[in-house]
Order: sequence, then C-alpha cells, then structure tokens
Amino acid sequence: MTVDVVAVDVVAVDVMTVIPEPIDAAAPAPQPRTLSARRGRGDRIFYRGASFSGLIVLAIMVMVGLFLAIEATQALRSTGLSFLTTAEWQPDRNKFGIAAVLLGTVLIALVAGLIAVPIAMGTALFITEVAPTWIRSSLVALVDLMAAVPSVVYGLWGLFFLQGQIVGLSRWLNTWFSWIPFLDVARADPNSPLSSASVYTASAFIAGVVVAMMVMPISCVVMREVFSQVPSGEREGAFALGSTRWGMIRVVSLPFGRGGIIGGTMLGLGRALGETIAVLLIISPRFDINFHVLEAGGNSVSSLIALRYSESSGFGLSALMAAGLALFAVTLVVNFTASWFVARSRSGASSEA
Amino acid sequence: MTGQLHAARRAAQRAARRTRIARAAALMMVGLVVAGGSMPKASADGFQRISGEGSSWAANAIDAMRVNVRQFGITVDYNPSGSTAGRKNFLNGTVDFAASDIPFQFKPEDGSAPEKPAPGSYAYMPVTAGGTAFMYNLLINGKRVTNLRLSGENATKIFTGAITSWNDPAIQADNPGLTMPARTIVPVVRSDGSGSSAQFTKWMIAKYPALWTDYCNRSGRAPACGETSFYPTIAGMIAQSGDLGIAGYVSQGFAEGAIGYVNYSYALGSQFPVAKVLNAAGYYTEPTPQNVAVSLLKAQINTNESDPTVYLTQQLEGVYADTDPRSYQLSSYSYLILPTTVAGQFNLDKGKTLGAFAYYAMCQAQQQSASLGYSPMPLNLVQASFDQIRKIPGVVVQDIDISACKNPAFAADGTNLLADTAPQPLACDQQGLATQCPNGTGGLSNIPTAVSGGTVAGGGTTATTLPGAGSGAGTGTGTGAGSGAGTGTATGTDAGTGSGTPTTVAGVAVADTGAAGQGCDADTGLCGAGDAASAGGVASADGSGAIGAVLTTTLAQSSGWGASIGLLLLIVVLVLALILTPALAWRYFSNRQLA
Repeated sequence: MTVDVVAVDVVAVDVMTVIPEPIDAAAPAPQPRTLSARRGRGDRIFYRGASFSGLIVLAIMVMVGLFLAIEATQALRSTGLSFLTTAEWQPDRNKFGIAAVLLGTVLIALVAGLIAVPIAMGTALFITEVAPTWIRSSLVALVDLMAAVPSVVYGLWGLFFLQGQIVGLSRWLNTWFSWIPFLDVARADPNSPLSSASVYTASAFIAGVVVAMMVMPISCVVMREVFSQVPSGEREGAFALGSTRWGMIRVVSLPFGRGGIIGGTMLGLGRALGETIAVLLIISPRFDINFHVLEAGGNSVSSLIALRYSESSGFGLSALMAAGLALFAVTLVVNFTASWFVARSRSGASSEA
Repeated sequence: MTGQLHAARRAAQRAARRTRIARAAALMMVGLVVAGGSMPKASADGFQRISGEGSSWAANAIDAMRVNVRQFGITVDYNPSGSTAGRKNFLNGTVDFAASDIPFQFKPEDGSAPEKPAPGSYAYMPVTAGGTAFMYNLLINGKRVTNLRLSGENATKIFTGAITSWNDPAIQADNPGLTMPARTIVPVVRSDGSGSSAQFTKWMIAKYPALWTDYCNRSGRAPACGETSFYPTIAGMIAQSGDLGIAGYVSQGFAEGAIGYVNYSYALGSQFPVAKVLNAAGYYTEPTPQNVAVSLLKAQINTNESDPTVYLTQQLEGVYADTDPRSYQLSSYSYLILPTTVAGQFNLDKGKTLGAFAYYAMCQAQQQSASLGYSPMPLNLVQASFDQIRKIPGVVVQDIDISACKNPAFAADGTNLLADTAPQPLACDQQGLATQCPNGTGGLSNIPTAVSGGTVAGGGTTATTLPGAGSGAGTGTGTGAGSGAGTGTATGTDAGTGSGTPTTVAGVAVADTGAAGQGCDADTGLCGAGDAASAGGVASADGSGAIGAVLTTTLAQSSGWGASIGLLLLIVVLVLALILTPALAWRYFSNRQLA
C-alpha cells in the first residue's frame, strides 16, 4: 500500500524534474524518453484478471486436447495409421477408423454451409442495408432467437416434419441431376412409381439442411457485424456517385466485409462439424465411405460419440476419444483459418487492432 | 465541521446498509423456514428421487409405473436409452437401477467387450412381458394393409436382406388374400445397443442359422456372428435409435414399405399394424398380451437361487418351439436390475424408494399392462420377485397377501388367468388356406383389410378390393368362385408405360356375370378381375364374378428430360415474365418520358 504511494510520487518527481530541464550542448545526444506508466491498483487487478482469463481459455483448450490425446492413445496405438483409413467401427474387434465418419461429418458440414451461407449473407445484407430502420431490431432479435433454439428442437423438427417434406426435393435432385456423381442415389429408381421414398431419408443432405438452420444465425451475426462497420463515408460516396443500392453493396459493402463473410462461413462450418443431437436424431448410421449426400445413411463423429458413448467402456471409449480428437483437430484448423481470414481482411484488421 | 458532517453521513449510510442486510437476512430466514416447512412433507416417507436407465422395449410399461407412483411421493426418473446403455451406466454407478431385456453379457457372442458386474451386487427382477412385433407401413391401392402375415423364415429373410420386395413369392404365399405390391422393403433396425436386437438375433440364430450366418458374413461382422445387441446393417436398411425411433420412422408417410421390430406397445401407440407371425402350430398370431402370456408358459426360468448371475433369467427356446396355436414366438420378459449393495450414489433411502417402486410394479402396475400392450407377470415370477426385492438394501419389506396383489394375471388356482382365457386363433389365421383373416392388428385392430380368395377352393383370382369391400369379401368370393372367376379381359392401361404425364388408370367394368372387366393397379402392376357394377369397388349384390377391383390410381411421377421438363421451363418463364414485366414496362415508359 505505502509502496504504491511512494512509486507514484517518484514518477511525479521524475516528470517534474525531467521536463523543464534545458538542453545544453554538453549533455549526451537526446534520447527518446522511454514511456512508462505505473499502473494503479484497479488497473493492475484488471490487467491481471483479463490476462488470467485469456490464459485460462488457452489452458482449457490445451487440457482438452491433452486429455483427448491421452485417452485416445490406447486406441491409436493399437490401430496406428489405419485409424485414418478404416471405415468400419468395431472397436471391440480392433477394426475401427474414422474414414467414413469424418467424411460424413465433412459432407454434412458442407451441405449445411452451402445452404446456410447464402441465406446468412442475404439476411445480413437485408438487415444492414435494405430493411427499414424500424424493422431492423426485430429482425436482429429474430435471428438471435434462431440461434437460441436448442438443437434437439431442430432435430425433432427435422425428423418429424422436415424429412417428410424434403424427400420430394431429394427425389427431384436425384432424378434430374443424378449425373453429378455425389447426387446419385444407388438404390433409387425414379422411373418406378413404386420406388420407396426411404432411400432419400435419413441422409446427410437432410441432416445438413437441419444443421444449416443452426449455422445460419451464427454466420449471420458475424456478417451483420461486419457489414454494419462499413464506413458510412464510403457508402455515401458510392450513393453520391449515382450508385444504386445494389451497386453500393457490390462495390463497398461486399469488398469491405469479405473477411467477415469468410470468417462467418468458417465459424458456421465449425459449428456444423460439431453438431450432435440433431444429426443423431435424423441420420441412419452407416460405416462405409459414401459420397452420395442424398442417399439414406451417413454418419458424423459427434453423433457417433453420442450414440456409442453410453454403451462403450474401456477400449471402446478410447476409440471414441480418438474420434473426438480427430474432430477437435479438424475444428481447430477450421477455426484458426477463419480467424486468420478475418484478421487479414480490412474490416477484421480494424476490429482486431 | 465538514469532517463531522462526513462522519454523520457515513454513519447514516452504514446504518442504512445494516438495516438492508438485516432485512435481507430476515427474508432469507423466512424463506428457509418456508422451505423447511414444506420439506418434511415431501420426504415424509423418506423417499428419495431415484433414477433408472435402459430398455426402450419396456419403457412404455415403466413410464406408466413411474407416473402412477408419483401419487405416493415416489419420484422415479427413467431414460429409455437402450438396454446396453442401461447396464453400462448401472455398472458405472450413474443410475440407481437398470432395465434390460437381456442379462449381463459375461461372454458376449458378437465380439464386444464383456460386462463385469461385481458378484453379489445386483439381482434380476422380471418387470414386464411382451412381444417383439414387426410394425410395418404398407399400402395396397392406397389403402393401408392391416392384416399382413409373415412366416418366421420370411421375417428373418427381410431383416437379413434376402427378401427385398413385398411381392416376393414367399411373402405372397404367406398372404394369399392380398395382392402384394412390388414395393421395396425397407427394414428399420436399432442403431443403439438394444436388448430387443439381442432377443431378435438370438431367435433368428436359433431358428434360421444359415440365413443369419450368411447375413453376418455379408455385413462384415464375421466371425463374431452370435447374438448381438448391435444390429449389423447393410445398404438399404435404416437404423434408428430406440423403439421410439423405429416406430417414428416407420409411421412417417414417406416410409411406405418400411418394417421395423419394436415392442407391441409402440405399434399400439403409433396406431400402426403389426405382422402376424407363423408359430410352430401353423397359425399366424399377433403378440397380444394374452398370446404372450400363453407363449411364456413355455419360457424356462432359471430357478437356481444360489447363482445370482442367472437366477430368474429366461431360456426362450421352448417359446420358439411352442405348439400352442395361440403362441407368439418372439415373446419375452424384460428385467429390472436391482442393486443389492450400498455403493456410490445408491444409499438406504434410495433403496427404500426403489423397493416401494418395485412392489408397486409387481402388483398394481400390472393392471395397466394389458391396455398398454404388455402382458402381466404370472404368479410364480411375482413371488420370486418379492424375494429379489428383499435384497435391496434399505427396503421396507411388505408382506403382500398374494390375493391382494391386484395382478390381473392371477387365477385362483395359481395359473396365469390371461393364458387360461386367451382366445384360440381364428380359423382363417391358419397356414395353407387360400385366404387370410381380414381383421386388423396392432394399433389398427379395428380396421380390417379386405381379402380375396375364399376358403372355398377355386380361388385363382387375385383381386384386391377397395374400401367398403370388407364385409362383402366373404360372400362375394364364396359364390363367385364358381361362376366366372379368372375370365377377365384386359382393357385397362398398363401402368408401366409412363409417358411422362400423369396417367389415370381405370379399370373398365361391365355389369355382366361372365365378362368381368380387368383393372390394372398402378401400384402393384398387377391386373385384377374387376366387377363392373361396383364402381366404388363394392362387391356386387348378385355375387357374380370376383370382387371388384376397379382402380383409379394416378401415377405419381415419371422421369427423364422429356416433355414435362418443357412444361416446367415454360412455367418458369411465365412466372418470371409475370414478375418482371411490370418492372420492365415501368422502366421503359419512364425512360421514354425522360427522352
């Protein structure tokens, strides 16, 4: 306590003594004065607290990774590299790998991204640029509400409502575009009026659509944030030069927000990769390499863990941890890439600085 | 002066703060008193909240028990996450009791890790009985089939991918009164570890080992091809989590052609029919509570009380081979796994609660079983269960007079009343007849499905009937078989020629005894003899000819970049034009004005 007071005093004395001192020739060449400010008590508490929180986050992440790695060692050691190439999942018989599961996860995330990003971008642009002011706040609240809906609700909605409705779209896509390899459905026969609609259900596509509903608000929030930071000078400049609203969005908002768009997309992808319960409810788990997104059956790492966690013990659990570790790594990569893009962009740089 | 003022103000503030704190404390005290006052009431009997997990097969019965014991201040949480998860979490000590259709797997036959419960830490108590039913979603001519029959072999073939179409001759042979559609069969199985998967695979292995071994090889499970809780899947199958997941999937509109195995109660709950399965006596039966009670008379219950790892567990081979015409082969008991030692979160208070719950489950709760689709426990198992309940630490032993137990299955002489009074199957449920019963099953027992082909020989006609023909089926075929069955002339359009546009296929009907028109069904691709006078598909009053099969079916869709895509594009262009024309016109005219 007293020490503090003394220190402050010393600084004050320094300031008093240094500034008025005249420059004389005999003195050594003038040096830029090193700036140092003693922090007060509140400042120090805040500084320590904040840096502690930051470090805690880092520590938690490291610990999660370490925990997963340690728990997964047993399984990884027994399979080695074949863990990455095996499609089956029978840990009790030492035949397991994440090839199929990880592919399924990525497919679901991609479908979700393809659907969610355009909607998110459109919504963000509408809210920031087009919508009348009085409607904006309620729109923002609505989008936030979408993010607040629990994922199991989305899952049930997808399972009992959407699936029945969307089968027609799946069938249409398959009928007309089955020449695109990944839109083909192996057991579907569009020519037969008797063909079962079941081949289009419980697919990665339907799971992806439901996950898209969850991803959309997250991406939208990031994009809206960035679009709202577009300098009004540039915006008004574009209008002043005779630009239409779309022209302004095209030459000002979109280039400015590029980082945010990419960042929001990647953040959404990260969420989509980890989505569990909705996928678990909808998808029919299968363990083979399957690129056909419209076809019944698929899988994802998190839904596999949720499905098998309560039934596994010992080695099986270790195998699930290994799958979790793989997902953790993929998500980290996606999120780091996202933050890198955001930081490099103009809008991101200004907000990060 | 100022200092004094400051001091006074500070003192006043301090006093104010103190009163605020005091007030808050007082409020808290009041709250505590209120809470404390209500607390003893809730736990007057020393009941503590208990939690269980496991079988989704038995979940409907257990849920009903849970709801009913709430009136006694007993709160039981139950998570129907599958038998495997229930046993696992019981071993982990995260739940107080488990429900499982199969006992602990000391030597699993499917290569999974063995379960190792501590010796003497648990006891089995059979809690309910029921049948694993094949719930299906099948339409013929847009009308739901409610009377499907399957032999055990065909059921096995369906769930092992050996039969993939509903019009397979083997299934047609089971259902002589139906015109099976050429629809793909979608088997729906459990994706989670499940006791009903284990029971079902055990039955298939016992009865049709060759079929199962072949399937096991194809699904990549070999060489561990024993009974398994994790059903292996192949392409074309759908796997869903829990009985509810299967029932939910099968009952969706898009799931036409799907069939899944669930407890009978789920078919009742989702108002869907179940397949009648052929038993050893040559009758197709339904897993009604009565039939299950009859079947389980042949279940061998292990009575070796000295070995708690097997005591009260079931051997079902006798059920599979039961020659009682009422028996249903896939009947079984489901068990509660009770803790017999205090360990982890399980304490004496919880033991007391669990004991009271178990007593209730054995007696009063069994009254509800039948209405839910389960079969009440018989006397010998209830008495054995009472002994098992005594092993729960902390239990308040009730000396229940067995006559006061209010279990509907108890007859005065100690036999199973339900089995004694179970009705014999209908004559038309027998195998090898030219027809089958029209009566509905499962959750649609009140809705019959019309059948063709009389009990009188001379069927030959494979006509299907539309709604309303149910009552006429018997008489119509009886007399009709003699006069002019099978002499139809094809005048309908073939459903196979999909021209790209919706086609309406209608059977031509002529009101003559001899010349029966023939209508072709777009759904089945089969043509049936149609009676002319029956425009609505109702059998004609004079009883001549086969039952009408006048069909008005619209083909759903065809494929290819054909004529319809042209129409589609035209529509798109028109819609675009409708939207864009006003805007373009406005712009054009405003430009002209400027010029």
